[in-house]
Amino acid sequence: MLRKTLTEDSFYLNLGPQHPSTHGVLHLLLKLDGERILECKPLVGYSHRAHEHMGQNRTYLQFLPNTSRMDYLGGLCYNHAYCLAVEKACGIEVPERARYIRTVCAELNRISSHLLWFGAYLMDLGAFTPFLYAFDDREDILAILGEVTGSRLTYSYCRFGGVNRDLNQNFLDGTKAFIPKLRKRLKDYRTLVTKNIIFLNRTKGIGTVSAELARDWALTGPNLRACGVAYDLRRAEPYSIYPELEFEIPTATAGDCYDRYWVRMAEMEQSLRIVEQALGRLPEGPVKAAGVPQWIQPPAGDYHFSYESPRGHLGIYFVSDGGRVPLRMKWRTPSFSNLSILSEILPGTLVADTIAILGSIDVVIPEIDR
Amino acid sequence: MSFLEDITPVLAQRFGVENLTAQDRARHGYDLRLALDQERLTELVGLLKEAGCYLEYITAVDQGQVLELLYFFGRYDQPPFRLQVKVAMPKGVAVPSLAGIIRAADWQEREVFDMFGQRFAGHPDLRRILLSEDADFHPLLKDFKPGPEHGGEVVNLERK
Repeated sequence: MLRKTLTEDSFYLNLGPQHPSTHGVLHLLLKLDGERILECKPLVGYSHRAHEHMGQNRTYLQFLPNTSRMDYLGGLCYNHAYCLAVEKACGIEVPERARYIRTVCAELNRISSHLLWFGAYLMDLGAFTPFLYAFDDREDILAILGEVTGSRLTYSYCRFGGVNRDLNQNFLDGTKAFIPKLRKRLKDYRTLVTKNIIFLNRTKGIGTVSAELARDWALTGPNLRACGVAYDLRRAEPYSIYPELEFEIPTATAGDCYDRYWVRMAEMEQSLRIVEQALGRLPEGPVKAAGVPQWIQPPAGDYHFSYESPRGHLGIYFVSDGGRVPLRMKWRTPSFSNLSILSEILPGTLVADTIAILGSIDVVIPEIDR
Repeated sequence: MSFLEDITPVLAQRFGVENLTAQDRARHGYDLRLALDQERLTELVGLLKEAGCYLEYITAVDQGQVLELLYFFGRYDQPPFRLQVKVAMPKGVAVPSLAGIIRAADWQEREVFDMFGQRFAGHPDLRRILLSEDADFHPLLKDFKPGPEHGGEVVNLERK
């Protein structure tokens, strides 16, 4: 009897579009039975800015600043990916030094993205202190990257055939000081958060995703690796200088919120290793290829490029008819697929867990909406 | 033996060797292209799912009279594998939805519907995803011209 009454009393709750825990303008339509979720419909598109349409109505170079505005936390990675995609299609060779510089910057960007996620996630779960520490660390990276790129978030540092300008001494000194600092901080985070009983209770066994389910929903990135699948495009389809570097792909087994957390924390350590190695071997030479044509005109045909962004598989697909403007410009953004799994894993959980699960997936809304 | 070497003869045998084209991965980023008739789409996708592939994305290219639907499949594996399935459709004709076979197809198909107006028969919830519900246009079609008639340019604050 009680059960029947409760079912009849089910109601809808709008989480978002303006809600501090949805990290941007995301709208979750929840059907609730008391505190328990019966159904979840994520509604996206609030920050659609027609990036693909713009890409098809601009030259390749004109589109470059758009790339970092899709995923504003991994802007340099998106820059990097776009340049690699176009260079591959046109057969432009990038000088050795530029390849190293790009990788260093992309990995620093990955760390800053994970740091922001770490701080914001813990704040979602009610812990305020880690947020302040994470933003302190992240500020160092933004200052270091600002030295050479001139921007804090929406970078346009990479160019077809290299980078805009060479690293300066402040960048090198700053990074050198930052690596041991963050290593020490990651240790602190481990004692502060990773073993914290409140945190463990909020995340262990919550929002579990099996490897099979992850494949069905096309999950990639840390969310997939938390399910035990060691799939990282830096290793699976190596680009840039990654084949020359030593690093591991952290994976976990349970696929719950805790494991997604753990994988990202471990990834930061690996990114530090990459930065350290790449800067240690930084070759001399030019940072921009000579003879890159003024107008980029890839030979007619279609081109796909895969990149491991901080959130997973970033796919760039474009069709060229040999002209200055692409015929089609498609971006497969990882959060788009990663978010859609919510409608599968949220039913049956509590509203409080919604925040824990949504946060652990690490979505960037403008990247979904494009 | 790599997955690519395993699957190529299977695809050639079942879907016709003339429909299968090997691509230069170093330049084009994928290994195989399969031109397919829409009637055999679900059969192919069932086979790919069974073989451990995941749906990377679905997109389309407007070629005038014809809309080319492109399905990309990959694998969580090394060496990498990527297949492009190309289904050419006259505009206005529905293709079978894959949402019942691969869950990731749900949102991907909604996006293609939103941007190109392509219908997917059997999709559980074929609504717009990125544009607003009342939009009456499909912006990635080549005959689309942005302008005030789509409500995006002019904001009349005095209107009730």
